[in-house]
Amino acid sequence: MSGFRHGAGRLGDAQLNFTFDGKPMLARAGDTVASALLANGVEVVGRSFKYHRPRGVTSSGPEEAGALVTIGAGGKADPNARATMEPVTQGLEVFSQNCFPSPKFDLMSVNGLAGAILPGSLFSAGFYYKTFMWPAALWYKFYEPSIRAAAGMGVPPKVADPDIYDRIQMFCDVAVVGGGSAGLSAALSASQSGLRVVIFDEHNDLGGQLLNEANSDQNADLEQWRKDTIAALEAADNVTVLARAVCWGRFDGNMLAAHQSVDGKVRQNYIKVQAKKIIIAAGAIERPLVFGNNDKPNVMLASAARRMLNHYGTATGKMLAVFTNNDSAYQTAFDYSDAGIKVSAVVDSRQYPSEALVDGCMSRGITLHTQAVVTEAKGWQAVRSIEIADLAANGQSVSNRRRVACDVLAHSGGWTPQVQMAAHGGKPPIYDKTIAAFVVGDQAPDTYSVGAAEGENGLLAGVAQALEAAKAACAELGGTAGAVTAPPQDRDGATNIVPLWSVPAKGKQLVDIQHDVTAADVVQSHSEGFVSVEHLKRYTTLGMANDQGRTSNVNALAIMAECRGVSIAEAGTTRFRAPIAPVSMGGFAGREIGKHFKPVRRTPMQEWHEKAGAVFVQAGMYMRPQYYPQAGETIDDAYERETEHVRKKVGICDVTSLGKIEIVGPDAAEFLDRVYINMFSTLKVGKARYGVMLREDGIVYDDGTTSRFAEDRFFMTTTTAKAGPVMAYLERCLEIDWPELKVRVSSVSERWGAMAVAGPDARATLTAAFPSVDFSNEAFPFMGVVHAEHNGAKLVILRISFSGEMAYEVYATSEHATDIWQTVVDAGQAYDIVPYGLETLGALRIEKGHVTGAELDGRVTLGDVHMDGMASKKKWFVGKNLKQREGMVHPDRPQLVGLKSVDPRTPISTGSILVTEANATAGADKQGWVSSMTYSPELGSFIALGFLRGGKDRIGERIYAAYPVKGKNVEVEVVSNHFVDPTNDRVKG
Amino acid sequence: MIRINCPYCGEREHSEFTYGEDATRTTPDNDAPMEEWNKFVYERDNPAGEHIEYWHHAFGCRAWLKVQRNTITHDISWVGLPHENPEAAS
Repeated sequence: MSGFRHGAGRLGDAQLNFTFDGKPMLARAGDTVASALLANGVEVVGRSFKYHRPRGVTSSGPEEAGALVTIGAGGKADPNARATMEPVTQGLEVFSQNCFPSPKFDLMSVNGLAGAILPGSLFSAGFYYKTFMWPAALWYKFYEPSIRAAAGMGVPPKVADPDIYDRIQMFCDVAVVGGGSAGLSAALSASQSGLRVVIFDEHNDLGGQLLNEANSDQNADLEQWRKDTIAALEAADNVTVLARAVCWGRFDGNMLAAHQSVDGKVRQNYIKVQAKKIIIAAGAIERPLVFGNNDKPNVMLASAARRMLNHYGTATGKMLAVFTNNDSAYQTAFDYSDAGIKVSAVVDSRQYPSEALVDGCMSRGITLHTQAVVTEAKGWQAVRSIEIADLAANGQSVSNRRRVACDVLAHSGGWTPQVQMAAHGGKPPIYDKTIAAFVVGDQAPDTYSVGAAEGENGLLAGVAQALEAAKAACAELGGTAGAVTAPPQDRDGATNIVPLWSVPAKGKQLVDIQHDVTAADVVQSHSEGFVSVEHLKRYTTLGMANDQGRTSNVNALAIMAECRGVSIAEAGTTRFRAPIAPVSMGGFAGREIGKHFKPVRRTPMQEWHEKAGAVFVQAGMYMRPQYYPQAGETIDDAYERETEHVRKKVGICDVTSLGKIEIVGPDAAEFLDRVYINMFSTLKVGKARYGVMLREDGIVYDDGTTSRFAEDRFFMTTTTAKAGPVMAYLERCLEIDWPELKVRVSSVSERWGAMAVAGPDARATLTAAFPSVDFSNEAFPFMGVVHAEHNGAKLVILRISFSGEMAYEVYATSEHATDIWQTVVDAGQAYDIVPYGLETLGALRIEKGHVTGAELDGRVTLGDVHMDGMASKKKWFVGKNLKQREGMVHPDRPQLVGLKSVDPRTPISTGSILVTEANATAGADKQGWVSSMTYSPELGSFIALGFLRGGKDRIGERIYAAYPVKGKNVEVEVVSNHFVDPTNDRVKG
Repeated sequence: MIRINCPYCGEREHSEFTYGEDATRTTPDNDAPMEEWNKFVYERDNPAGEHIEYWHHAFGCRAWLKVQRNTITHDISWVGLPHENPEAAS
């Protein structure tokens, strides 16, 4: 126990209760989980990713790499949450992660010992690449289970998340990313132009680094400025203030993406903001120093220790030591000392800190060690002392090691501007030697990176930059930014940093604390040839954790640059990609989950099918009846019965899902002649014709039946799958290719419900149903089209057949379609009519040898499906030029054949390959494939359609349909694809 | 998000549109030699920079539009109807 509640900070007096691993704890309203845990004396919060080293709070912000916890339980559990970003709410349950049985005593930490004993640590750099290579047999048995148990973070909940997530679309003129002094000033100034302004900050409290300042009388005016500025923004109608909203990516067209946490019914909002100008005032994040055991609990960033004390009223320890290579950390020592907490040492790696800092230490009685470093943090679980030493003038060695007592070590390795959002604009950041960090420099269009995010750490200087940006952004949008009051005090931004990338001493020196990547791993990566920063990242997994390298990147690439003997600028940074912060999947999904994931299209007859006990199957967006089982029937029993029944009597099937397009205009016939391979201008009014379309490359695109309603009016049907694409294609042809044609196309798919009535008794059934229509062969022959009305419904009846039986397709206006269906079913009772589903539809068309999407799979030519004869020689059509290419007409192409099991009761699996030898193995000559299969009640055998090399001339051959993965090998006979009624008599009967 | 200013509907997010194809190609004559058709169907330039292409306002007015898009920055500098062309200067 070292941390304790010291004072009020900026928090209110309200007390909250929460639990950590079931233990009751106290917090104040405004606390984060991190500040509250520290105030309750918790040091070890969890265990590290690979080595199970104890970990505590390392920061006070989004860069948190140590204190990762699971927030909430059950479906609400949110693993890997950063304790520094999670506000405590009444009754909150917080759990440690990756430790068994408890964070203080963890069995797996033996990994850390193993690393010291075994040659090459168990989880050292490149571990994933080396370990998983050989022997493969150990993968499932040993590596995966043991690694999964050893490495990792929080456990995702196994039950559905009960919370609601929303998506919000916003527009604004000026978006400001970051609510520190610069961001607040820019937003307020821009808002006075009247333009729409949005400002994001990922923290609960806006103010950025101002929140690190002591809430003292001396700073009262500064605190008042912060409050006034926020209040002015919140009061302005044209400003949206989004607190707890992390802006995690910038995309094309100046779109910013953010996740906002909210309290209430909705847990998070995913916000997309379309901005005209973007001011990035994302601030800077303090870098850690790299020394021995720098991951030990109670080693924390100096600015974080300061914010804990000044903002949250939480003292991080009873005796503080500071280790720094720049000026900024001194203030932490001073603030702690002024708050009455003992400061045992300031260890500065520089030789000559400024006089003011030296005086500051002296006046407070703080021992200052210059040209000195911390070599190691000591203590069993958390820091209890540090070992310090003098640093040689060349920085390469240390001497005079000695112990200094402390229970918290605040360290600072300089400041890293948050350039990620600006870098998403496309420009790589550049290295600035004076602050030893990367800055944006060359700004992307419409983007202004200002303040600490651009390397300007001074308070007034940063605000001035922000106001300049607001002025320029507003001016470009035709507005005038207003004057705003500057902060009443200044803070010097010069850090006078002298880089110290790692301490020349032994011990585990962590670079990426969250992913357990050490300085030694970076050196090893270099010695094994992975020297580019992008390779370094992938080889060591550095910067891949949910802090996204905020604290580790610059240190790591500086060490790599040192190894390579190049400058840091030359080593460069890895590319910044969105999201820059962990975001929930729930936000992306929004409310489109479960049944709302995808709309379901329903045909007008859906309820009828449900009442009839249909089993449904998804077909595109439709749920279509698959079969209508009778008591005790399996799917096979049902479709075999339905199929047999259609062939012997009559059946009815819902075919509403077919695409339906009306094509109207004086040039409609000419248009169809161009898009179909066969002639439609010769089609007589009142007749239908089967048509096939090709793509420009000569491959079959789609097929369907088109009827001529009038000279200038056609009614096209497309396959269910291609309904949308064919419509878009026809529109394209008319608007782009042939604007001279006077034709309009409209999708009427929703206008008509459709049903196929098929079987020898189809005519009798329909005659009974619609007495006003003459269904005689003479009046209504095959391929005839009849318009009718029935009880207010408009009907279009086509005499066409997909099943091979005498059949009609009845199209009825959607609102009447169920009535019409019922009318047909009632009339069909006398003929034992049955409804049939997709399975039977498939069985019937396979028996007949008709093709569908399974055959027309985008690889098939007209010749492959024996339709070349249909192609008109008298006219041009789309695809005509390229369908004649050598490869498209080669006699050895796989061609459509029928396949019949030699043993009739043996099914042929769809997807089997066709081979000539029994028990084919890999490397066998693959001569084709099976595209669809069914049991044929008519033939009393399993049959299939497939494509076989030169298949047209191989009728009668016996070959094998092999499915090696399933160990299947079925002997089949090659037959014509027309299994049933090859002379096509039934359809004309 | 790319935003496209549809001449009929106004500026809309690109998720309302589907990309169609390269609009810089010229369809050969119906009786042009196969080689020419082959080139037309299979050969595309892949320019880094300004490109003119067709987009379909599929979830809007369903018009086919001609769009000038920078393939590097995704900036859309011009939108017109299929028979129109951007000024050479733009």
